[in-house]
This record gives sequence, structure tokens and C-alpha cells, in this order.
Amino acid sequence: MPDQPKQDPPAEAEAPPAPAAPRAEGHSGGGPPRREGGPGGVPRREGGPGGPGGPRRGKRQFFRKKKVCRFCVEHVDFIDYKKADMLQPFVQDRGKILPRRMTGTCSRHQRWLGEAIKRARNIALLPFATEL
Amino acid sequence: MQERLYDLIFICRPATPEEEVNKIVATLEHSAGEHGGKVDKVERWGTRRLAYRVSKHREGFYVYLVVRGTQSDMIKELERRLKVADPVIKYQTIRLDEELKRQAKLARHRERRAGRRPRKAAPTAPALPGAEQAAPAN
Repeated sequence: MPDQPKQDPPAEAEAPPAPAAPRAEGHSGGGPPRREGGPGGVPRREGGPGGPGGPRRGKRQFFRKKKVCRFCVEHVDFIDYKKADMLQPFVQDRGKILPRRMTGTCSRHQRWLGEAIKRARNIALLPFATEL
Repeated sequence: MQERLYDLIFICRPATPEEEVNKIVATLEHSAGEHGGKVDKVERWGTRRLAYRVSKHREGFYVYLVVRGTQSDMIKELERRLKVADPVIKYQTIRLDEELKRQAKLARHRERRAGRRPRKAAPTAPALPGAEQAAPAN
């Protein structure tokens, strides 16, 4: 996941030579970046305009639904720390707060959510870390 | 000073008899009154499982209060009482009024925007075909 921001600029750089293909890539969201992994930069630049890039892209393509902030949809103005079961889906099994990129929460709500989770932890409604 | 609103939660040992809890709530109400405050709401959530061990307990009796007051000493006094009270194993006070204020502000803002939207769509309709479609829907 940390390579995502790194991967985005190459996709844009690719756009001028072959406008149609990269656009399709853009729709599939974060899909293509994963394919390239670490050493991705150079091969991608070759594959983009040329033929070999095409089939590869088709094979590995997968759709990622656009994530929408759950709280924005419901117009939530205040995240209640007392409703621990409501916060539960935003916490990993071990008690970590899930990052925004996993849940699709917008930055404002993530901020409130983090606060709510921390409050809930303080009063033993949510764990700091699950003990084994 | 403006009136402030607080959430106060405390957890008692699971074996605490009901009267003990009532006594603690009564003392809190009393000392809130002494400092010019008021306990708006008392909710007993009952015995719940704690997410982690607190003073070797895995369960606790939760009591939730909503307190309002104007003096900051009030919370100090309430927390001191909870600290001293034997059956209480954990407590937390959270100031709520600013968040409620923010919430009200956002709600007002949204309302205003919702009211403005149809009016705004009308003049832009000729320029944007998308807006044209949206306008009759509203």
C-alpha cells in the first residue's frame, strides 16, 4: 500500500502518448499500481504505449468500487464514542484504527472517528490491544 | 462563564451492591449542586464486559451521567469524589458542549445549502446541460 502515492504520478505521465488506455487504468482505481510493485517505474513506461502493456493490463485488471465515506452519506455530524459496536468496523481485530484507505472515510470524519475510538478505549469500551 | 455540558462515565466493580452505586450517584448530584451545576441524566448501563482488564476486573458496572455547570471546579470536585470512592475503578469526563455546537452549526449549514440549491440551479441551467436535468428533479 505505501507505493500507491508513488505510483500515481507515472500514470499521469503516461497519459499523453496513449490517452485511451491510461484512462481505463484510471477507472480501475488502485488496481494497476499493485501490479508494478517496487520495480514498476521503468517497465511500465515501456508497456504503456506499446503492445505488450495491453494484454497484461487486461489480465490483471480488477475493479475497485469507489469508496464513499459512510458518515458523509448519512450526514453524521457527531460520532458518538459510547456506541462501541458502531466503531467496531473501523478497528482491526487487534484493536488498531483502520486507515482511511481501507474504509474510505473522508478526512474530516476519520479525524472525528479517531477521537471517538480513543475515547471509547479510555473507558474500556474498545481495546487498546487485544490480549492473547 | 458559559454553561458547559459534560459526559461523565464511571465504572464500578461488578460486585458492587446497587445501594453503593446509588450512593455514589447521590453524592455526585449533591456536589454538582454545590458548585452550581446539575446532573441532567443518569443512565445505568449495567454490567458490561470491559475491553481490557481494569484493576484485575474483566467486567464492570457502567454508569453514565450528563452534567451541566458553569464552574470548572465542579468537574474537579466530581473527579476527586470518583477517585476517592472505593468501588469506582475507572471514570472519564468529556466536555460535550463544543461538539454539540459544532454539530448544530453543521446542521444549520446543511439546511441552508439544501434550501439554496434549487434557486442556484435555475440560472446555471442554460450553461450546463447536467444542471438542467437536475433542476426539474428538484
